[in-house]
Amino acid sequence: MTDHKVSLRYATSLLDSSIERKNLDTVIKDMEFVFSILHREKELAIALKSPVIKPKTKSSILSDIFQTRISEETMNFILFVVNKNREDLLLNISKKFLELKDEYLGILNIEISAPYDFSDDQKELIKKKFENTFNKIILMTFVINKDLIGGFVAKVTDTMYDASVKHQLELLRKQFLHGNVSLN
Amino acid sequence: MAEVRPDEISAILRKQLSGFENEMDVYDVGTVLQVGDGIARVYGLSKVMASELVEFPNDVFGMVLNLDEDSVGCVLFGESTLVKEGDMVKRTKRVASMPVGEAMLGRVITPLGKPIDGKGDIQTEKYSPIERKALGVVQRQPVKEALQTGITAIDAMIPIGRGQRELIIGDRQTGKTAIAIDTIINQKTTHTAEAKSLGINPVFCIYVAIGQKSSTVAQVVAKLQESGAMEYTTVIAATASDPAPLQFIAPYSGATLGEYFRDSGRHALVIYDDLSKQAAAYRELSLLLRRPPGREAYPGDVFYLHSRLLERASKLSDELGGGSLTALPIIETQQGDVSAYIPTNVISITDGQIYLLGSLFNAGIRPAIDVGISVSRVGGNAQIKAMRKVAGTLKLDLAQYRELESFAKFGSDLDKSTQRTLAKGARLVELLKQGQYAPAPIEKQVVSIYLGTNGYLDSIDISDVKRFEKEVLEYIEVKYNSIFETIKKEKQISDETNAAIKKAADEFLSVFKKNA
Repeated sequence: MTDHKVSLRYATSLLDSSIERKNLDTVIKDMEFVFSILHREKELAIALKSPVIKPKTKSSILSDIFQTRISEETMNFILFVVNKNREDLLLNISKKFLELKDEYLGILNIEISAPYDFSDDQKELIKKKFENTFNKIILMTFVINKDLIGGFVAKVTDTMYDASVKHQLELLRKQFLHGNVSLN
Repeated sequence: MAEVRPDEISAILRKQLSGFENEMDVYDVGTVLQVGDGIARVYGLSKVMASELVEFPNDVFGMVLNLDEDSVGCVLFGESTLVKEGDMVKRTKRVASMPVGEAMLGRVITPLGKPIDGKGDIQTEKYSPIERKALGVVQRQPVKEALQTGITAIDAMIPIGRGQRELIIGDRQTGKTAIAIDTIINQKTTHTAEAKSLGINPVFCIYVAIGQKSSTVAQVVAKLQESGAMEYTTVIAATASDPAPLQFIAPYSGATLGEYFRDSGRHALVIYDDLSKQAAAYRELSLLLRRPPGREAYPGDVFYLHSRLLERASKLSDELGGGSLTALPIIETQQGDVSAYIPTNVISITDGQIYLLGSLFNAGIRPAIDVGISVSRVGGNAQIKAMRKVAGTLKLDLAQYRELESFAKFGSDLDKSTQRTLAKGARLVELLKQGQYAPAPIEKQVVSIYLGTNGYLDSIDISDVKRFEKEVLEYIEVKYNSIFETIKKEKQISDETNAAIKKAADEFLSVFKKNA
């Protein structure tokens, strides 16, 4: 539980300081890179979590990986996190940072699952529709989920826009069980 | 056999399906982070309300109790083994509520209103929230009508009014539940045509069993059925095997159902059996939700837990229909310790208490009411005039008796007046003994106590007191039934009635003595 709070605090301060120093674009690029590396390399994550490996070793590992690839500010931030013994939260911090910058820049991430792949025209149509509804820049990711049978489900933060056949069938099942059911 | 054509079936199916909407459904979700011990921590559900009902997979429902910065703490009303980490949780957008209505009478239900007596669905139209704020000052009026328990000792000395909160407190095995059940059974008289003609409104009863054995609950239900009391009673059961959250909300459900009757201008009686187990259930889930423990490990708001529940008992003003909700909470003490945390809390909230003593119970004085520390703070207003008149000296007589009783044990010579007080006291104690499931109607209670306080028993052997009482009441019923009728109708003892009782009692006393 505390992980969440700590990550949020580090991520907020990184965002605030990069806005102040007007190098947000570089930091975003750096953090996206950091996130992708940490997300992909499980061994690195394990090494960072391990209490056996000394903080000094950890910071030299991270410097070796990132030194030449990211800006100096971001590198300093990473070393600062290691210095504070929070290196195991680096993945969470980078993830939180990317969420916070989306919010700051007015970007909305929408995850759309469907049992089949949409055509580009359809994707454009869905994007337009959501842009009009939310008045934000829409970033969409598509997931294929055969379980849905038909239709699609869009997940916008905590809200689901469910037009899948699976959900309709579930509602139908409830209607038969309890006599009546209403859409939320 | 009648032929059913396939197209007919498909037509019916199509008709059923035609009402089904085919639109996009929008709902809010969260993800289960952690689950166990009947508690789930959920990430997401960002717009959820406190005490909102949320839906887990496998038809398990939960209630939101903690709204934290990064997660939401829910209690589960079903098996926590059916919920896994990573499961999707859906908002229902309604606070925990239960169906209410007439159809609930005669049924045994869970705190969420689902029937568990195997008698099929309950057809109700209305849902009410389980947690409701108690009424304010303006909507209320003082308690003024009597709620007859049928137990002479209570109706005479610790009268309970409609809209009152009277605590029943005592150790285990002292007859707490028996008093509650007798009270429910006695309400049968309020549902008769005779009561209607006398202007007595019917009382609907709700018995809430919290953390009890299922066998005990089954026994209570069987007893209520046997005495025909189930027709106007609902039993809400959260037994010992139910999850703690259900035990925690059970009394609130009882209050909600009672409020339904109250708000429609009727009278309801709700019994919480017992609140010490509810407090223990609440302590369990508070600790699991990591709320800080206080005295006896109860959370800080355990006082509010009971005060907000009992505050819902009320007598409505005439503008709102004059309905009432009477609450009889039960608290079990350990080794007679009334100064433990929960007992002192509830004593201070209620309008009086009936204290039951194990030693009296074992000495054969049943109901084992300790008259000295049992009180009713609403008292006299809730008694009919006749009872107030005859019972006036009863409490005093018994108090004097108890005071002298301890001296008398030394066996020293006692003067005449002391002996008289002792003799009278012993007979009054005998008179107030009463069997279980045998509630006495008010007019008979009045006559019994009249005989006791006016010295008619003084010349009778202690062992004969109960027999004398029974026989004299039968004698009056057969020969002077008008006495009972006038007490019932006039609700007071006029000079004529006084004379009539005297005459009848003198007559019978001489016959009784002759035969003795």
